[in-house]
Amino acid sequence: MRKVMVIAVREYLAAVKSKAFIITILMMPVLMGSGMIAEAFLGDASLDTTDRRIAVVDHSGVLYDELAAAAELRNAIEIYDESSAPAKPKQIAPRFILERVLPAEDVDESYLALSERVRSDELFAFVEIRPDVLESAGDDEQVGVRYFSNAPTYKNVRIWLSNVISASVRQWRFDRSGLDAEKVAWATRETSIDELGLVTRDEATGAIVQAEIVDKIGNVLIPIMLVVLLFMVIMMAAGPLIQSVIEEKMQRISEVLLGCIDPFGWMLGKLLGMVGVSFTIVGVYLGGGLAVAAERGVLDLVPTHLLGWFAAYQVLAVLMYGAVFVGVGAGCSDHREAQTALTPLMVVIMLPMILMESVIREPNSTMATVLSLVPPVTPVLMLARQAVSPGVPMWQPVVGMALVVATTVLCIFAAGRVFRVGVLMQGQGAKFRDMLRWAVKG
Amino acid sequence: MLGYDEVQWFALGISSLDEHRVHAVELSDVTKRFGDFVAVDSLGLTVPDGAVYGFIGPNGSGKTTTLRMIMRIFYPNSGKIRVFGDDVVGKGPSSDRVSYLPEERGLYKTMKVRDILRFYAELKGCRSPGKRIDWWLDRMGLGDWGAKKVEALSKGMAQKVQFISTVIGKPELIILDEPFTGLDPVNADLLRDVILELRREGATVILSTHDMSVAERMCDFVFMIYRGRKVLDGSLDEIRSAYGTDTLRVRIALNGKTLDGLAGVANVSDFGRYQELRVENGADTQAVLAELMRRGRVDHFELAQPSLHDVFVRIAGPESVERNDAID
Repeated sequence: MRKVMVIAVREYLAAVKSKAFIITILMMPVLMGSGMIAEAFLGDASLDTTDRRIAVVDHSGVLYDELAAAAELRNAIEIYDESSAPAKPKQIAPRFILERVLPAEDVDESYLALSERVRSDELFAFVEIRPDVLESAGDDEQVGVRYFSNAPTYKNVRIWLSNVISASVRQWRFDRSGLDAEKVAWATRETSIDELGLVTRDEATGAIVQAEIVDKIGNVLIPIMLVVLLFMVIMMAAGPLIQSVIEEKMQRISEVLLGCIDPFGWMLGKLLGMVGVSFTIVGVYLGGGLAVAAERGVLDLVPTHLLGWFAAYQVLAVLMYGAVFVGVGAGCSDHREAQTALTPLMVVIMLPMILMESVIREPNSTMATVLSLVPPVTPVLMLARQAVSPGVPMWQPVVGMALVVATTVLCIFAAGRVFRVGVLMQGQGAKFRDMLRWAVKG
Repeated sequence: MLGYDEVQWFALGISSLDEHRVHAVELSDVTKRFGDFVAVDSLGLTVPDGAVYGFIGPNGSGKTTTLRMIMRIFYPNSGKIRVFGDDVVGKGPSSDRVSYLPEERGLYKTMKVRDILRFYAELKGCRSPGKRIDWWLDRMGLGDWGAKKVEALSKGMAQKVQFISTVIGKPELIILDEPFTGLDPVNADLLRDVILELRREGATVILSTHDMSVAERMCDFVFMIYRGRKVLDGSLDEIRSAYGTDTLRVRIALNGKTLDGLAGVANVSDFGRYQELRVENGADTQAVLAELMRRGRVDHFELAQPSLHDVFVRIAGPESVERNDAID
């Protein structure tokens, strides 16, 4: 066992002292918070306040004036940062400048000309208000307004037009029907619902503790962060094993090591080293996360009761995936082969991330329950389900854990056999069926 | 000319080995197959304790497989292997009493020299190898390189580091596969001296090499494996004696003529400054000398035992291969 630990310590130090590891561990939060950081650094450079000139062809004959008035109001007030000094207001959005275009007899020619003006950047877009926009019965197929633009990803103009025109049309209809717009708004206002947890009793004092409003961050964001952390740990700790084995094969280190330690002990040492690496990653990120949570006073939102499960899933996932990576690495002869072999494995590792949204939304659906009991995805999916309130029946994580333990033992056993044969093999890499044969027959 | 079948008898019953009571390595009737290919075939071998034992043989003849079996990296399909009296077949990794320098060097490029030596020392059971590492680095002329990364070393330096990693754990049996590869003559002499020092201190050395002169100069015994089978085993004198004095070592100025077609000569090996002629059974060496004198000025003429190189070539040279292939 001492030799296994010697291997483990070398693997651990080689991994955590590598530039790639240090850069990755530092860059990951930077990348995740890159939006905020970019905004902080870029400041005004991220804003586009170029005027948007919009031509309006109003066939209704009544809406243009209201649109123009709304645009004037917006340009005077809404495009400035409220927190900036009144003497020197800071513009944070573009002005919308409307241009009235009278309906032409030849509509097609007229719209072609307007389109050319958009192409030449003279206009940003043009909009056609149909004659029946006020009277239309709201039929889905009956379009009241058509918006023409070559910048479909910029939605602000369209949204603003939609809001203003809708409000004007609504008011016109109220007036025509003799209804009081304020009374209708009051009558149709939605009733808000406060979402609370459950009432509890303080065991120490016996007093009833009122239910608290459910915190969306605590219920959704933190479970997601925990699950993403587990996924990152698997990728960062188990992933490098395949490259490490290939290096040892290509540099012929394998033969020297096999003169000192048996293949299984060697592989176990590598896996334990990577478990150590995974705890380092978790220590950095989870420690940092808890420190931030404490600093912001939201430490009670962190599901600390899950940290034990997290650690168990983390160790088992690193061992399970790490063993498979080691086995596959032993069967490959160079890095290119390893990349090819990694592709199907990456699909399996990515699978829980793809499924996570639906699992968190419906954590106790049949699909979520069944999938979370499939060992390769259990660590991530079961943790996600446990993290979302109200959690899962205790038997499920227990059974899931038992299945993962069994699968991990099986993976280590099979990988040990593949490793023993493959690690001394030079030249052409092994085929999948060769590795399967080694795993089964030894 | 003797083929490997004809010298099988020689491999049996080397009396000098019996003088040693403790054997470092004993192989009896060992066979190793890879699929249908028989890499080692019914091999028997005894390496006495404290000897320098040379392993020679052509590429792919089974040398490395044999060494790996002694190291427990491979297990034989049949037969017994004992190292210092312990049966190794089916056991775990090699004992810390045994250390192996493989032909292909294995060092982590990004590790520092001292770190990698500590790593290998600890794998061989050394608990505080610091002073020993310093001593060996100085002994091998690498005192200033301990803090450097392996990737910064020359090939010869890396070779010396690999050698230190092999002996750092004070092994009693040292298996060296082509240890002189990549070393200049000065460092080769240094390594030879160190190996012989280790032997004097009681270590047994198995030296696998393609360099016959190294085997001749350093080894107490020489073992040759060819096509998985033992074809030579004994001291150098015994091996040479087995081939008799059928070799003429001559130095001749030919003045443009060649040594082709000499009557009574089976083979000519030209080493540049001198030539070795293998005479046929019953050939008259005086007649050969007379013919040589007709072709040029003979400066040296010596009736000698064959060199190890010549013995190797007789067994594994193209001529022998063709003949053995025909027999097979």
